[in-house]
Amino acid sequence: MTERPSDHLRLRTQPSFLEPLVANKRVVVCCGAGGVGKTTTSAALGLAGALAGRRVLVLTIDPARRLAEAMGIPETSRAPARIDPERLARAGADGAGELHAWMLNPAVVFEGMVRRLTTDEARVQQILDNRLYKHISGMVAGMQEYTAAEALYTLYESGAYDLIVLDTPPSRNALEFLEAPRKLSAFLDERIINVFLPKKGGILKAASGLIENVFTRIFGPGFYGELQGFLDAFSGMFGSMRAHSEAVRTLLTSEEATFVLVTSPEPSALVEANFFQAKIEALGVPFAGYVLNRSWAYTRGYASPELIEMGDAPSPELASGMAKLRQLAVEERRRADRDRKLLTGLKSRTASGHALATPHLGGAIEDLAGLVDLARNLVQTEELPPSSRPPPSVR
Amino acid sequence: MTTVLSTLGNLRAVLVTGKGGVGKTTVTASIARMLAASGRRVLCGETAVDDQTTSPLGAALGVEGKVGEDPTPAGPNLDVVILQATRGHRAFLRDALKVNLLADAALRSAAIRRFLMAAPSFPEMGMLYRVLELVRLRLSDGSPRYHTVVLDLPATGHALALAQIPSSLLRILPGGPIVEAVKEGLGLIMDPAQTGSVVVTLPETLPVSEALELADGIRKHQLPLAAVVANRVPYDPFSAAEKASVLGHVKSAGPTLGVRSLERIERSRAALARLAEARGDVPMFVVHDSWAEGAALPAELAVSLAGGVP
Ligand SMILES: Nc1ncnc2c1ncn2[C@@H]1O[C@H](COP(=O)(O)OP(=O)(O)OP(=O)(O)O)[C@@H](O)[C@H]1O
Ligand SMILES: Nc1ncnc2c1ncn2[C@@H]1O[C@H](COP(=O)(O)OP(=O)(O)OP(=O)(O)O)[C@@H](O)[C@H]1O
Ligand SMILES: [Mg+2]
Ligand SMILES: [Mg+2]
Repeated sequence: MTERPSDHLRLRTQPSFLEPLVANKRVVVCCGAGGVGKTTTSAALGLAGALAGRRVLVLTIDPARRLAEAMGIPETSRAPARIDPERLARAGADGAGELHAWMLNPAVVFEGMVRRLTTDEARVQQILDNRLYKHISGMVAGMQEYTAAEALYTLYESGAYDLIVLDTPPSRNALEFLEAPRKLSAFLDERIINVFLPKKGGILKAASGLIENVFTRIFGPGFYGELQGFLDAFSGMFGSMRAHSEAVRTLLTSEEATFVLVTSPEPSALVEANFFQAKIEALGVPFAGYVLNRSWAYTRGYASPELIEMGDAPSPELASGMAKLRQLAVEERRRADRDRKLLTGLKSRTASGHALATPHLGGAIEDLAGLVDLARNLVQTEELPPSSRPPPSVR
Repeated sequence: MTTVLSTLGNLRAVLVTGKGGVGKTTVTASIARMLAASGRRVLCGETAVDDQTTSPLGAALGVEGKVGEDPTPAGPNLDVVILQATRGHRAFLRDALKVNLLADAALRSAAIRRFLMAAPSFPEMGMLYRVLELVRLRLSDGSPRYHTVVLDLPATGHALALAQIPSSLLRILPGGPIVEAVKEGLGLIMDPAQTGSVVVTLPETLPVSEALELADGIRKHQLPLAAVVANRVPYDPFSAAEKASVLGHVKSAGPTLGVRSLERIERSRAALARLAEARGDVPMFVVHDSWAEGAALPAELAVSLAGGVP
């Protein structure tokens, strides 16, 4: 039952595939199923980039409030904010480059885009003042994905950052912005928009008539006209938005970008990971490999409770407690075996053979120091000696 | 004694919600199995995702055939269905326009279909209308086709999106029959005698914080909160004295196998205590972590849900 070191030596003697990525790429996109740890991994990769001396921006979407707190990201902010270097130093990430973070605010990004793409100030006001505009980011399917891409591209072009790590929302549509611009969103489709616009003849006119009839009967009088006015004002932007989404696509399919797929060891997350890998490959974007997050794969450096001396006359609690601990150790080994097998499976699924496991950090993940640990785990060859963390204690 | 059956068994609709990956699908399937085993006629539903080819809920229930937008059998007293917003839109258009031909023509129009799918709250509204339609189904003897509909809500558009329908819709729409339809649907989901939300969480610090935020949001929107479920709770075989002496003893040995699991047990206890304190008088059910996978998992959990909490 004792640990054979060779079991896990294989795991981390190879350099991490993520290390060159955070050191050299301009854009790293983290995607994966809901709740697997995309946001946490994005933050840790950003930290790893900063530890490598780069100016990094982590663009996150809807982070758990505590993570935002741990990193010191303001919850509503109109622009990226730098994480206080003091705070980083206290968390053990001193001598780092710069770490910036922004909780993406679709409304702000969208307004910026309206201003950039619409030269006529009167028209800008017409759009921004429209009652429907206030709902536009919810109104246009795929708009959240589009604003993420828009923000990414604008911030990339600004040249203010060496590396941008993009977190994605927990949606199968998260990669939608990469699909053919025609599919960018249902609403950007001019053939659809045109039906709503006034001054059309022929088939379109018949369709418009039907729509007007139906809309008026369902939504009451007035709404149809309001919608028309809005789409009319807005439609001039669609061409530019499509062109822009082409540019984003070019960036994300280039050598400068790479995609990391995050998964957890749960069967359902692995099924979703399959779906995402197929999608990434179909989109032709560079796929770096897998992160198997929250895994128990590493047991290196852990002592077996069997080998711990209990002395000559252990107290009854210690004797029975240690017996129970040995039982937990058996389960941990079982989990470790399962996760190592999963890791091997993930490696064989990718052309590059790249997959690595990050440990389940338990409660340690809740502060910045825990994230720094995770960052080191992502890029270092050797697993961090667990002894560098404070000793376990019962709360 | 409060049981899952006494808490949820008399409801017409149970909305299962929570963050991604916490076990919503598993818990939905387990509750549905348990209610069905107790003799209720149950429909288990999940909301459709774009380009969905598989049904996680169907898989959790061990359904081998395809699960579609019409109910399919998943066992004694139990059917499963994928809820399509467009089905609800059609039912709604037919009711609102009162002319089936016009409703069908409207739905053949790509522009209208897309508008209904893209505009805020409309997909949820379609879903709600579809649920209403399924809840209202009757057998020839007049009794409900399904006593209870158990819904697995997506992590992103969780229960709050349903609750936000009135405010976001009414901000955009001046009036018309749609307002009436929405009110009717809300009459169902806001009535604690008919509907209850179940918030699922993992017994860890951050997930519990998120679950409590979600529960607050649900209460704020006046959706009835029926229960919280702590899922994947590890068994705790230790006495307090055993724990203290083990942790004291292994400290000098450095990192030790088993200790991380012991710490997880401790975090879980602390998380459950926080949950228990914050839930008020909403019942809390504990579901244990299991090694079972696939359809065997909800089958196993359904048996443990049949028990109760004091
Ligand atoms: N390595 C880890 N060890 C322990 N806990 C972790 C780890 N990674 C993530 N977690 C925890 O798992 C939960 C989900 O993580 P996170 O929010 O990063 O996932 P996500 O994929 O971004 O979720 P969503 O899909 O909801 O956006 C959080 O409570 C987080 O603290
Ligand atoms: N009590 C449990 N014991 C063991 N494994 C569990 C338990 N509950 C859930 N799981 C596992 O955890 C994973 C996630 O569960 P599930 O798919 O039910 O979550 P979900 O909340 O529906 O996820 P998503 O947000 O992706 O829809 C699954 O692989 C499931 O088998
Ligand atoms: Mg996230
Ligand atoms: Mg699910």
